[in-house]
Amino acid sequence: MEDKLKRYEKVEFLGEGQFATVYKARDSVNDTIVAVKKIKLGSRAEAQDGINRTALREIKLLQELKHPNIINLMDVFGHKSNVSLVFDFMDTDLEVIIKDNNIVLTPANIKAYLLMTLQGLEYLHINWILHRDLKPNNLLVNSNGVLKIGDFGLAKFHGSPSRVYTHQVVTRWYRAPELLFGARMYGAGIDMWAIGCILAELLLRVPFLPGDSDLDQLTRIFQVLGTPTDETWPNVKELPDFIQFKTFPGTPLRHIFTAAGDDLLDLLAHLLSISPLDRCNCHEALQAPYFSNKPAPTQGSQLPIPSSICRSDDHEKPNLKRKLLETADGGCISLKIAQTKNELFGG
Amino acid sequence: MDEQVCPRCKTTKYRNPSLKLMVNICGHALCESCVDLLFLKGSGSCPECNVPLRRSNFRVQLFEDSMVEKEVDIRKRVLRDFNKKEEDFSTLREYNDYLEEVETIILNLTNNVDVITTNKKIEQYKKENKDVILKNKSKIGREEMELEELLEEEKQQGEVRKKELVKLEQEEKKKKIREKEALIDELMFSNADAKNILETFANNVQAAKEEVKQVPVVKATHFSTGIKFGHQRQQSFLSVPKIEEGPLYMYEAPRQPTDGPLPPTWSDLEVKGYVNHVEHEKDEHRAGGYRANISCLRALQEALAGLYHVSDRTDLAS
Repeated sequence: MEDKLKRYEKVEFLGEGQFATVYKARDSVNDTIVAVKKIKLGSRAEAQDGINRTALREIKLLQELKHPNIINLMDVFGHKSNVSLVFDFMDTDLEVIIKDNNIVLTPANIKAYLLMTLQGLEYLHINWILHRDLKPNNLLVNSNGVLKIGDFGLAKFHGSPSRVYTHQVVTRWYRAPELLFGARMYGAGIDMWAIGCILAELLLRVPFLPGDSDLDQLTRIFQVLGTPTDETWPNVKELPDFIQFKTFPGTPLRHIFTAAGDDLLDLLAHLLSISPLDRCNCHEALQAPYFSNKPAPTQGSQLPIPSSICRSDDHEKPNLKRKLLETADGGCISLKIAQTKNELFGG
Repeated sequence: MDEQVCPRCKTTKYRNPSLKLMVNICGHALCESCVDLLFLKGSGSCPECNVPLRRSNFRVQLFEDSMVEKEVDIRKRVLRDFNKKEEDFSTLREYNDYLEEVETIILNLTNNVDVITTNKKIEQYKKENKDVILKNKSKIGREEMELEELLEEEKQQGEVRKKELVKLEQEEKKKKIREKEALIDELMFSNADAKNILETFANNVQAAKEEVKQVPVVKATHFSTGIKFGHQRQQSFLSVPKIEEGPLYMYEAPRQPTDGPLPPTWSDLEVKGYVNHVEHEKDEHRAGGYRANISCLRALQEALAGLYHVSDRTDLAS
């Protein structure tokens, strides 16, 4: 364990979350850049099993998952009472890309990002895992334009009949209506809802349903999709925290996403179905005409990235330029004098 | 031509060559010193028609006839609201009618005909066309912005050119110094005839000069055409990067090696009755998006996975 601590040399502090600090580090064994997530010890209640639960979840699930669009857990090591997880290094995330005003997201770009997300999520769902915290911030993108789903701190196996789950999952803006109504038994629909919100955000470049409380969140949802009735969402009144809302007629998605094509609106409507059983799953979503229609999804290397991150092949250029400038700017005179002096006195 | 006279103090252009007549919205002129005197407090009334005026609205009279001045003012004010364009009308006739109406309003206001009804008409029009007025205003604003951007760009272009020129000059100077030093070096350390050295250097300089003569011409034309200014101006949006298209996406179901007999599919669960052996989901759970077949399928998959697995570690078996 001691040598593992030495193996990863800290390069840079990247960020701090509620449960962990993340560093950029260099793997001295094979000279690659990795991200090291050092789990905070947290309060005793959180760590009653000796280790933080979110970390435990992440380790437990990620160790068995291997997919190009899922963050790869490369190593785990402990030092004293700390636990650190070693991941692929990812340059940025979708939130940064969406917020960057200098980036143009073409329809092909959006398709590519959505496709990668859904492929990763399909793999998770096939393996009976709900991510439960999908948001642009957790969709990591590297400089090659590959998107990977990250942060499995809330992920959980699903499909056990006897187990109840907490509904306090998923960042509010991406939380499905059934969770807001307090459902304790839910399915993959909650992840699909979040995907719908992310797709909408990719199109609008601002959060689609930025509610500032759980009630406000539901109001915003119903303002867009219409207040659910027994026809549009059977048995909705049975949900633990159900409240009857004012009836909103809903807004056609076409009026909100004026630039989107029919195939895209169709997919969006399926992802954002108010009733979780009507919502499409990854398998259906990936077979939607939207993905097979033109424009083709942008290839990874051509996807836009923030200008602050330089693609690996750009590194050499500035040096070369400076060198050229230096040689052109004088310097040769003194060199010549030195040479002639050497000829005169040295030889 | 009548002499310009201030109606209040009767000063003429002849007696005071620096006389400047100012007008306000009512169209009556006053000389600059009278304005200063009467509107010391910032506001007051016109000495001729008693209309309340503000000092800040006074401006130099451009036209000799102050009525023209008044009309210009009124026109400006009216056109601020009557800002429809030809595109806003379906037929040319309607547009013409609209223009005529505007002209009538302006004429009425300048000649004090039916002022009250005309003002009412304007108010009504304002109310009815609030949206269009606002839209056109912002459109005009955008056009002005674009023009400003254009000017700004031209300014920048000029600056860049100036910088380039300074740089060129500096380089020229440096080059001269370098040549001089090279000549001195050569004279100091070379064993050749000084005359020959001088001659070759003079020739070199001459050749270089000729070269330089051609270069700036090329540079200048290259510069004025080569810079891609105004590229972003045509639209205030970012340019969309052109990207060659990759292949279209085709769905491929991911294959999961199960190391066991193939588990049933979703539809098999109902058709073959697997679901009947699992506890049925409650309405509440169904509303939350949970179905009994989820756990049914998972249980079946897990039961069947790995059944064909052969362990490599035979020593365990023995």
